[in-house]
Amino acid sequence: MVINVVDATNLERNLYFTFQLLELGVPVVVALNMYDEARAKGFTFNLAVVERALGARVVPTVSTRGEGMDALMEAVMEEAARPERRAPHPQFYGADIESAAARIEQFIAVARPELAERYPLRWLALKILEGDGLVMAETRITGDEPPLRDALSHLMSAHQGDLASLMADARYALSAGLVREALARPAVSRMELTQRIDNIVLSRALGIPIFFAAMWLMFKLTFDVSAPFIDWIDQVAAGPLTRWTQWGMGAAGAPDWLVSLMADGVIGGVGFVLVFVPVIAAMMFFITLLEGSGYMARAAFVMDRAMHSMGLHGKSFIPMLIGFGCNVPAIYATRTLENTRDRVLTALLTPLMSCSARLPVYVLFIGVFFQESAGTVLWFIYLLGILLAVVMGALLKNTLFRGEQPLFIMELPPYRLPTLRNLTIHTWEKVKHFVVKAGTVIFAASIVVWFLLNLPWGVGSVKESYLGRAGQFIAPVTAPLGFGSWEAGSALITGLIAKEVIVGTLGEIYALSGEGAAKPAGPPDFAGDIKQIGVSFAAAARDAADNVFSTFGVAAISAQEEEGMEGLKPLIRAGFTPLSALAFMAFVLIYMPCLVTAAAFKSEFGSFKWFAVAAGYELTLAWLVAFAVYQGGTLLGYGG
Amino acid sequence: MGTTLANLLPGERGKVTKITARGTLRRRLMDMGVITGETALVERVAPLGDPMKITVKNYCLSLRKSEAEHIAVERLRS
Repeated sequence: MVINVVDATNLERNLYFTFQLLELGVPVVVALNMYDEARAKGFTFNLAVVERALGARVVPTVSTRGEGMDALMEAVMEEAARPERRAPHPQFYGADIESAAARIEQFIAVARPELAERYPLRWLALKILEGDGLVMAETRITGDEPPLRDALSHLMSAHQGDLASLMADARYALSAGLVREALARPAVSRMELTQRIDNIVLSRALGIPIFFAAMWLMFKLTFDVSAPFIDWIDQVAAGPLTRWTQWGMGAAGAPDWLVSLMADGVIGGVGFVLVFVPVIAAMMFFITLLEGSGYMARAAFVMDRAMHSMGLHGKSFIPMLIGFGCNVPAIYATRTLENTRDRVLTALLTPLMSCSARLPVYVLFIGVFFQESAGTVLWFIYLLGILLAVVMGALLKNTLFRGEQPLFIMELPPYRLPTLRNLTIHTWEKVKHFVVKAGTVIFAASIVVWFLLNLPWGVGSVKESYLGRAGQFIAPVTAPLGFGSWEAGSALITGLIAKEVIVGTLGEIYALSGEGAAKPAGPPDFAGDIKQIGVSFAAAARDAADNVFSTFGVAAISAQEEEGMEGLKPLIRAGFTPLSALAFMAFVLIYMPCLVTAAAFKSEFGSFKWFAVAAGYELTLAWLVAFAVYQGGTLLGYGG
Repeated sequence: MGTTLANLLPGERGKVTKITARGTLRRRLMDMGVITGETALVERVAPLGDPMKITVKNYCLSLRKSEAEHIAVERLRS
């Protein structure tokens, strides 16, 4: 049973697809959707005529408001319960096509009975008639078999060998005929609202400014709305939750290592997954808003020329833009691209967009070495990422993604007001998907990292832990880039989890003696903590609302400086030179998408394959670029 | 006068005389309603010069000029 959802405002083209479905011979129930909009345009339908012509039930629906759903389900149940076989093919494509199709059916039944068992016979015959490449390859039928040549020769000569056009014409003829019979439209089609909006939104003068304004607004809203909630989750997980666990387990007499595993590994891991929820929810909400309103297709229309030159699609712009905030929702945002090639290529280039988690690293190093020219250096880093994306796009387009370019042909739907229901469903689905699919991967990995940091048993310093040893191991590899210390190596390794961890690890390593995990002496103040959680959530919600209305709500660079960074600066100055710091920043920009991005790749593309490709090319590229920066700089006399 | 859809200016109409594409492009064009005998109106060209927005069968379609080159049309007087 197929439920065929048909756009009532664009019946002719939609019925074309319905006729293709009917060729399969499966029972079909048609949901005549957007019925309200069609009626508002002055359309009147004679449903009985449509039902008779299609031999299928037709139910008007308005899916955004849930109207007609009960009637639709009822029709489906009735159809499913009907014992007698329906009329085999209600569509009649004309005597010539039908007789040729019958002869092809005969040929298949005799010569290839196994195909007749596997596929609907009429459908197969029609596909062979129109020379469908996929079907021909799959069935290994060439069309040159003598009985087939005989069956088709008459049609072939009458239509100059173009039977695909013939079939398309035949289907559209049926569909157009049915529309004429069953649909009454007002004679005068006035200048519609969509046209009027497009005259502004797609105009030569305003098209691009409006596009950038829309993108700027979406970016700001996504990250401004989510930021306070991210902080809130972070605080709750690191504060009360950790305290309670430590106290509870301590009281139960659990050994120190187990307390640490629970508090740092498990709770830390859960908190780590949850901090991404607000930003993914916000991103999905605004993407759905763009899609649902009809602007997404326009955005692609405006930007396609520029993106196409990089081998991408007009819609690729949006995931890449979101990438500047966070690569994780950006990978999810590639969903808006319909073609797999476009999606994968966009996802591969997105990690070169410098996400906000990399900013603390730049801020720290720029603060130490490039105080006077901070803005210039920061711009250089971001620009480097964009430039590399352009180069890699051109490179990948001509290597891994050579071959036929995906098509751009798409419908520009009328502008519509998206419904809250639609927005919440999509947002909720995406968040659930992230927590379940990506969350498990991230959670497992953060436990593994805990072990790396704390094994072998009783390890006293980071240097002797497995992490420190790994850092020592990779140090020679990064030595030609100007930062061959185990400290830098270890920080880069933890940076794979999330880029912002790099600064934290450097702090932990360089200033290890400073902090000792002070255990709370008495039982925590549960009531106080819970109250505090509620209060801070309310504050977060207020901040989010404030951010929406404030024009420049994004944290300024100075606010990105984390606590304890001041103490780190002299140590960084001792461990790096300005040149090696620059190489290190370039390396951090490029070297690898973080673990959460890997999980997003896995859940969006089904395997780690494309992540492996991204990681592979990025590691290589990062090494080469950092090498060029450091060695080139040294040659030019900037070393030392 | 025979030309391709890509050569029509905004505001001009063309009657499709032949789809010269092969493979997926051909299939896709037909599925979207661009078939022989159909009239297509070029509504506008994107601000950067490509792609273009056309109307066929009472709805709007966007396609690249490289794709529109495969649609042979006869320019109609408007």
